[in-house]
Formats: sequence, C-alpha cells, structure tokens
Amino acid sequence: MSLTLRYKANTSVPVEVEGLTPSAVRGLSVSEIERFEIFNGNRKLPLAEFFDVSGDSADGRIEFLGNLSGVHWIGAKMSEGEIHVRGDVGRHVGSEMTGGTIHVHGNASDWVGGEMHGGLIHVHGNAGHLIGSAYRGSKVGMTAGTILVDGSVGNEVGLTLRRGLVAIGGACGDFVGFNMAAGTVLVFGQCGNRPAAGMRRGTVGLFGGTPPTLLVSFRKSGVFKPLFLQLIFRQLQSLGFAVPSDCWTANYSLYSGDHVALGRGEVLIRETTAS
Amino acid sequence: MSTAYFKIAGGTVYDPVHGVDGERRDIWIRDGKIVAAPSDPDVRPDRTLDAAGLVVMPGGIDMHCHIAGPKVNTARKMRPEEKRKADKVVRTSTTRSGTMGSVPSTFATGYKYAGMGYTTAFDAAIPPLAARHVHEEFEDTPCIDKGFFVLMGNNHYVMQSIHRKEPERLRSFIAWLLGAAKGYTPKLVNPGGVEVWKQLQGGNVHGLDENVAHFDVTPRQIIEQVSRAVDQLRLPHSVHIHANNLGMPGNWRTTLETMKALGDSRGHLSHIQFHSYGGGEADENTFNSKVVELAEYVDAHPNITVDVGQVLFGETTTMTADGPLGYYLSNSFGNKWFSSDTEMESGCGITPIEYKNTSLVHSLQWAIGLEWYLLAKDPWRVVMSTDHPNGGSFLAYPEIVQLLMDRTYREETLKHVHPAVLERSTLAGLTREYSLYEICIITRSGPARILGLANKGHLGPGADADITIYTPNDDKKVMFELPRVVIKSGVVIVDQGEVREPVNGKLLYVAPEWDVSIETDLAAWFEKYYSVRFRNYPIPLDYLHEPEEVACR
Repeated sequence: MSLTLRYKANTSVPVEVEGLTPSAVRGLSVSEIERFEIFNGNRKLPLAEFFDVSGDSADGRIEFLGNLSGVHWIGAKMSEGEIHVRGDVGRHVGSEMTGGTIHVHGNASDWVGGEMHGGLIHVHGNAGHLIGSAYRGSKVGMTAGTILVDGSVGNEVGLTLRRGLVAIGGACGDFVGFNMAAGTVLVFGQCGNRPAAGMRRGTVGLFGGTPPTLLVSFRKSGVFKPLFLQLIFRQLQSLGFAVPSDCWTANYSLYSGDHVALGRGEVLIRETTAS
Repeated sequence: MSTAYFKIAGGTVYDPVHGVDGERRDIWIRDGKIVAAPSDPDVRPDRTLDAAGLVVMPGGIDMHCHIAGPKVNTARKMRPEEKRKADKVVRTSTTRSGTMGSVPSTFATGYKYAGMGYTTAFDAAIPPLAARHVHEEFEDTPCIDKGFFVLMGNNHYVMQSIHRKEPERLRSFIAWLLGAAKGYTPKLVNPGGVEVWKQLQGGNVHGLDENVAHFDVTPRQIIEQVSRAVDQLRLPHSVHIHANNLGMPGNWRTTLETMKALGDSRGHLSHIQFHSYGGGEADENTFNSKVVELAEYVDAHPNITVDVGQVLFGETTTMTADGPLGYYLSNSFGNKWFSSDTEMESGCGITPIEYKNTSLVHSLQWAIGLEWYLLAKDPWRVVMSTDHPNGGSFLAYPEIVQLLMDRTYREETLKHVHPAVLERSTLAGLTREYSLYEICIITRSGPARILGLANKGHLGPGADADITIYTPNDDKKVMFELPRVVIKSGVVIVDQGEVREPVNGKLLYVAPEWDVSIETDLAAWFEKYYSVRFRNYPIPLDYLHEPEEVACR
C-alpha cells in the first residue's frame, strides 16, 4: 500500500509542503513522516498536525486525499516517483520538478509546473494561471517535461517557455506562450487575447473552434498538414490526453512571428473546414 | 566617562600604522575607544578576552562598494530569480531576517560585513537627491560605520560653474552639496559622459577633451576643477573618480590622461582594474593588460591612490551611475536593463551579468585585478575591493586574500581560466605573495589613511575599538571567512561567525564651510529646475542616526 496523506486541517493560512517528495520520504516510517516539518504561514509544524499519515513509502508513490486547495508546492522539486492528488490542489504543483509523475484528479490553482525541468504533470480538471511558466524575473522558464490539463486554464500559459510540451484540453486565457524562447504549447479549446506575443522561437498551436486574432506582428506563411502534429497527438493519446478527432485531419494555417522579437516562432491555427 | 576596561590579551597584533608586524600585545579598550594600558598596575579590566595564539587586526574597511540607495534597491527588486535561489538569512533573537544573492538586503548586508570582520563601508555613488533614502537604508544596515560619496561629475551646477570659470562658486557649491547630503567626498562618474548620454541617443564622451554640449565643458576640466576644489576644502578624502571609458579596450590611455589631469591634486581612481585595458578601440581581439604602465605611473605619483575592483567568476548584478555603461553591458549580455535619469545630477544603469572563466575578456579582467595588487609597489595606495557587486560580492574578499597570499593556489586557479591570459597579462610570471601585514594594509590601514579616517585602521590609543580577531589557518580563505571575534566600538558583535549584538554603526560625514552668499543663486536654481524645493533639499543633522563628523585636514 502506498503512502497516503489524508488532509484533515481546517486553516485559511497557507500550508506549504515543499520538500515532501517521494524520494525525501522513501524508507521513512509513518512516525518519522508524521514529524516531517512543513510550513503553515510562517510557522514550521509537523506534518501530522495537518495530515493523517498511513501506508508505506517504499514504492515511491504518495496519495494526497481531501480538499487540498489551501495546500501548496505539492511535488515541488521532485525527481522521481509518483504523486496522485485526489481533490483540488493549491499553487505550485510540481514546481521545478526534474522527474517523476504527478496526477491531479481535480482542479489545480496557479503555477502548475512553474520552471519545470522534467517529468509529467497531468491535471484532469481545470488549472489556474501561469501553467508551465517562468517565475517572475527569470530569463528561462520551463526547460523540459510535459504538462497536460484536460480542462481550462487561465492567463500566461507557457510564459518564457524554453523547452517541453504543454497541452490544454479546454480554453485558455490571455497571453498564451508570452515571450516563449522555444518549446510547444497546444490549446484545443478557445484562446484569449494576444496569443504568442513576444515569442522568439517555438510552436503555439491554437486548435479551438473560433480562431483568435493574432497580433499584427505575425505573418501568414501558408496552410498545410504538419506531420509532426500527428506524432505529438499520438504521444498525447498515449499519455491519456484526449485529442479531438477533427484535429487529426484538419489543415493548419502557419503564422511566423513574433516579429517584434526574434520572429522565429510559429503559430498554427486549425482551419475550421477540414480537407 | 566609564572606568570599565575591556582587555584583549596576548594576541598576535598587526598594526601597520604603528609598524607592529605580528607582535604579541595587549589591547585596552574603554568607552568604545582603544586606550593606552593603565599606568596603575592595580587596575584590572572588567572583561578580558584571551587572544593568545589568535591574530588581531583593526576592523576591515571597504572604501568602495554599493550597498544603499535607489540603485541598490532597484537591483534588489530586479533580481527575484536570484533572490529565490540564494541563501536566506534567518531571523534570530537578536537579528532580523534577510535575503542574499549579489545584492543582499539591508540588514543582511550589515551582518555579512561584520561576519567577515569588516566594520566600515562607504557607498561609492549616491545622487544627492537620493541621500535621504540612503540615510534611511543605512539606519537599517547594522554593525558597520557608513558613509557615501556624492555624485558630482555630471551635476549641472558643477558644469555651469566650471564653464563660467567660477572656481570659488564651484568650491562653495561642492561644500554646500556635501553638507546638504551629509556625504563624504565628491564622486566623478564618467565625468561629462553621462550628461551626453542623457542629451543624445547612444551618446557618451570617449576622451578627456571632448566637449559636453550646452555646458561647453570637457571631462578634463571637470576632473581638474573638482579635484582642485576638494584639496582647497581640505576634505579628508580626495576626489573619488570612476574614469571615462570604463571597460573599453584601449581605455588605459584615458586612465593615464585622467591621472595626469589631476596634476598635483589628490585623486583616488576607483575600480582601476576596469580601466587598465590595452587593445584597439572596441576590439576585443586585441584586448590586453596595461597594468605595468599604469602601476608605474601610480608608484611615481604619491597623490594618486586606487582601489582594484577585482572580478570574481560567477553571476552578479552591475549597478553604476555611468548610464551609457549600463546600456553597453545590457546589450553585451542580453539581459534586462534598468536606466534612470536623476534630474540635474546623474544617471544610472543596472543589469545582471555573469563573469565566466571560459571568456577571454572576463579571465583577463580577473588577471588584471590581481596584477594591480601584485605589481603596485606601495600597498598603502592600493585597496582591496570588488566594487561590490560590480566585480563580485564583498563576500569574495577572503578568496582574494588567498589568491594574494598563496602563490600555489593562484597558479592552480590560473590553469582554469582562458589560456590567452598567459600571453596578454604578466600574472603568470608574478611570484609575489602578500604577508598578513600587507593584507592588513590593503584592507584596513591603507583605506583608513586614504579616507582620512584618523580613528580607524589602527590599534593605537584614540582609535575606534573596531577590531577583528582571526584564528590562524594555512588556508587563508578559511581564516578570513570566519573571524573568531569581531568587536565594533568596543562591543563584541560577532562571535565565531554568529552575530551577537548588532550595534547600529555610525554615519561618517564631512562639514566643510562654504560661502553662504551662493545660496541666493542656488535657491533660484532649485526653484527653476528641481522637483524638490530648495528648503527641503538639505538633510538636517537630527535626521541621521549616530552621525560623526570627520574633520577636514
């Protein structure tokens, strides 16, 4: 039986579990894990004050249960193993993680996979702003890994992305792919204002029903069926992410830009009339 | 006056001012000052610190750093990505929390200086308009005595007075401005060049005789006139100069011309390493060291002093009143950039950079800094600095001490820098190793003498009881990183690396006299051009924490 942490606290003060990763607790007894110190606001307290701890940590898998919307930094900096969150979760899930897998069976707040460097995060519900983004001030954001969100997300997805794949099943807010240096962001639902603004390189795919208006600093280069999208779609399907059937056969308009920046990025917009 | 004595007993004392080179001595302290041993043999100290086997030196003095004011604060705010990953300074029962990185927060700055055995630091570039902010930040920078140099090299009133050939007005204005800001000495940063940058897109001056439009003055005139005025005012420190063309290949000629422009006047050339480059104009392929030529000139001219501005490899944040330089660095490194225009007074540029040992330019900068320490014959006129944080953090001083005292370590480090350093500098052939006595000079006694601080940099009667006690160690970096005890004004503030009692530290300022008749003209000038009313500009003495006037010479 995997290690199970059932949230029992009722506090409006943020609970931060940074450092509580599968490798950090592997091999520890339940009583040792209960004494693991986490932050509640500016107070450092034992984990047992907030969670009922049970199970065995040996298999490198942690199950978080309950309404964890006030619990932040779950899986931050993890390098291996699996985390499953059954319920809503707070900010910074999988922040700076380098490996392993996180599944959120609920909704996640902002900063999912902030400056992620490897591994997989799959949010099966909705997520907040700044998914797979650089933290404020950073020259480089997410550098590797995959983030999948089945539902909708907020603004600034993939901010300053350097490498890796972010796929959003539902709608997204404004400024998707803002200041991207490279990497791939695909949005299968509606998209907000100013997509890919300031992008230097990389790919932003906007596959929702009504194409958004691109900034004037993007130039249309043609319409085609990119083969690489088929490969990415296959990869997404293999990870359990639903790719709409019409995306497989659609034509895609290619725009280059953002020409106020380096201008080597590409935006792919699904043509609504299939070939 | 208290009768309580504090005695540091039996330490191995280094006090170059009095020619004491590693002799076993007692030091007596009373009321925060070092005093002569009581003549009455029955007098017993209230407290004795057994320093037998330990090295005792005056507290360190950093005479050129950037630790307060708007540029420093902007740099702090500009680097959240660095702050997040840097060490944290955790709150204790006696100390406040803080952040590190290349630009530590205020309290952390004080604690870290003290933890390294430094008890005095001068911020090198303050626009007088921002002096109030600086004093407020200084109050939150504990453990060290502080002062600052006042930016005047591009001040409109200064340039106007020079243009009108009114040396008396210039002298009075300098005295008034120092008194208004409660500063220490005039600072010239790229004299004239910053004004041209503010006037023209991409503007700058590239030599001492280029004209600064509108004011119709040259950098040479600014250097000559201000240095002369400083000497006439008998300020404790000379004019403090960041010369034109910082960082540019071939700039050594400008530096030499700047030294010559001083004539017989005193002048301190700051971060001289950044001004000692040979090579063609803007051509990095011919970039090389010209320390031999410049050090020879400095050796022969006792009116000139320098601090080095050593570069250390790694990330840092550059901040300078040299606006065009900030723009140049931002373009070179492709990093975010902050620029500002301080009304009638100055400019400012801030950008993060990284010095890499794989880079020829950066490796040469590192080597040129070390050449200055090792080639200059008179250690009393060469001061250790990193131009914190421009060349590196002040926390790198122990590393520099080891590079200077341990030739084997230096040669080993040299193997890991760009190989062309061997041909383009003389560093590989320099065998000199510093003694503890010489280290004491370039980190304490020398800067105190250059700054005109009669009560600092020595351990004789009358000196401030700012004392650092080290545990001897063959690894000099370890020795200087973690002093055994640091004493500030007679109080033990650091014990084995831990801050015990973070005293506030004094504010060191000068108060030269000026001709009050200029105030009528000044008031009109302020009302016409400044965003601050004339009457609100000067900072009253009661606004300062623990002010101490340093007498003019």
